[in-house]
Amino acid sequence: MAGDRDTADRYFEPKVETMARDLLRARQEERVVELVEYAYANSAFYRALWDEHGVHPRDVRTLDDFRDRIPFITKDMVRAHRARTGDPFGGLLCVPTEELTSVSSSSGTTGDPEFFAEIWEGAPPLVTAQVRDLWELGLRPGDRVLSPPGTFRNLMDAGFQALGAVVIEVDTWMGNMPEVVEALRTYRPAYLQMMYPQMVELEHLAGTTDLKEAFSSLKGASCAGQPLSRKMRERIREDWGIDVYEYTSAADTGTAWECREHDGFHLWEDTVFAECVEVDEHGWRDAAEGDLGELVATDLDNRAAPLIRYRSEDLVRLSRDRCGCGRTHARMWVAGRRGDETLVQGRSVVLRDIWQAVEDQPETVAGVFQIVRAGREVGELRLRVGYDPRLTGDVDALAGRLGEAVRERTGVKPVLDMRTEEDLLKTMTSVAKFPRVVKS
Amino acid sequence: MARADTLARARTLDRPELAYLVRFPTPEGIRDMELTWAELARDTDWATARLRDHGLAAGQRALLTTSGFEGFWGHAVIGALRTLKVTYGIAEAMGWDHRRTAVFHRELDPHAVIGLSAETVEGLAGAADVGEMFRTTPVVLARPAAVPVLRGVGVSAALIATVGPALALECPERGGAHVNAAEWRVGARDGQLSVAAGEARTSVLPETPLGIPGRVITSRCACGSEDPRVLFAEANQPTSSRS
Repeated sequence: MAGDRDTADRYFEPKVETMARDLLRARQEERVVELVEYAYANSAFYRALWDEHGVHPRDVRTLDDFRDRIPFITKDMVRAHRARTGDPFGGLLCVPTEELTSVSSSSGTTGDPEFFAEIWEGAPPLVTAQVRDLWELGLRPGDRVLSPPGTFRNLMDAGFQALGAVVIEVDTWMGNMPEVVEALRTYRPAYLQMMYPQMVELEHLAGTTDLKEAFSSLKGASCAGQPLSRKMRERIREDWGIDVYEYTSAADTGTAWECREHDGFHLWEDTVFAECVEVDEHGWRDAAEGDLGELVATDLDNRAAPLIRYRSEDLVRLSRDRCGCGRTHARMWVAGRRGDETLVQGRSVVLRDIWQAVEDQPETVAGVFQIVRAGREVGELRLRVGYDPRLTGDVDALAGRLGEAVRERTGVKPVLDMRTEEDLLKTMTSVAKFPRVVKS
Repeated sequence: MARADTLARARTLDRPELAYLVRFPTPEGIRDMELTWAELARDTDWATARLRDHGLAAGQRALLTTSGFEGFWGHAVIGALRTLKVTYGIAEAMGWDHRRTAVFHRELDPHAVIGLSAETVEGLAGAADVGEMFRTTPVVLARPAAVPVLRGVGVSAALIATVGPALALECPERGGAHVNAAEWRVGARDGQLSVAAGEARTSVLPETPLGIPGRVITSRCACGSEDPRVLFAEANQPTSSRS
């Protein structure tokens, strides 16, 4: 499937990547204790919050103390601080602004983009934490990579170049896939970053282009922004011949990638302290190993604006068992976002079921759809669905079939708003994310 | 620190001299050219001097709007901003992502905005008074098609553009965008710009027409630079004649 790959030299930092868990925990504990002191001394947000909770750094000497005493934070709390004080960093900043190297931002799918304050030397933080993952994928000095489409999390080139890869400048964003295919044939790159809209466009090219041949030089391609459906993943792996590595956000502290085992996303636990918890009105408790819980993350390698016990709203299963790849760092499997579940007249509807119904229709196989809702509880299920106009003779007939398929899977008859895929993808507000749940 | 350790390990790798393969359009199709680390370092030094001419200095903030495939000059500009100790924010240059530029501009109040595209300006104009937004920004370096729009609403924009694989940057005199004469030869024939690599460049690039309407001024600039200056026809069009 993939191009040549050096499998004997799998770990970029073997001592760290395969570190015994008790040593990893000791390192985390040391870092967390330092972090609490540092954040209290330098962040207006944490000092105010912890004072309000009667917590002082002197009370935090172990990881257990940390978990017992330090309160969770949420995006809304940071936004509220930002609104109250006018501080664009929501009070998280621990250094004067002049000390920052750069400021990147979140996708901004649920409001204004949030800032990420960055201090770095050789390469920006996000892509630096991906170097181990890219090495695992097979990237080696001298390999070529196509430039990724977006810059909102900074220019990523320096990370690829840190590994000795050469960046080929190609516009890989939506609308340019014929040029990308041409570049693949000309330059024979080893790696390509993909986003969801590119997949949809490639799917359209698949009928007229030998994508398997075009992609044959790749050691791997990554895909982020949203999970691939089972069908799309099979298509990419089997029909296009790409060893695709999905990755996801590590609760805004970095990213978590699949390894070659493709069995969960590895969190680099020397950069993040991860918890998987169940939270309700009575408090919180750890989710049992393997059970679904919310990912809570603490930055261990961010002196600019660390997130500390940050509730990500990502519902995950977390395992600290050693992976088949030999790494000891935890893996997670993402089930969805807290709040993505929609209650239609009291009946629970989840994205996965709608996705399946949409993908089952040939004209909507790319799975381009959104739930339109004002709140979590609604009277009717409103769906906006993108179809491939080249495959669609009768949109009304498609809507009829699709509506029935959704009803069979969810028990709810949807109200459908049919658009072309292109029209719907144009509503994206970030290269990374196609929002599945929108307000209007 | 974890990331610092990762980069320390990366520095032990046997890395190639090549940083980028730069691709650029010509009337005959896409051309490519190698960009080495040594060349990138020289490009960064040159960009640093040009941005310093605009008064950029330590402690200021800048907003860079650029796309993922523009690293060959984005890397040099970021290197320049880092050398000058200017904190930079970064946003996409694509028009549909204009809201990100608006948020950065509102929240960070940058001293300089670098790389504004016509598409971004058009997007911003749908929800804001672009003139009001940028008139108080001391340095606005915009792409050719955005320059007349901005100047038309009273923003004293200077030009940033690519001339094939070369970066062109206007100085505060605003008399055409300078191209580094030590690295490139730029010219114009029949009203179309061309570029050739200088002898210092590793990759050979003979005179290559670019299909970009414009002309070149070779006389000394009022800023004192002997670098040739490129005048892009697109940047000097009255706003009303643009489609």
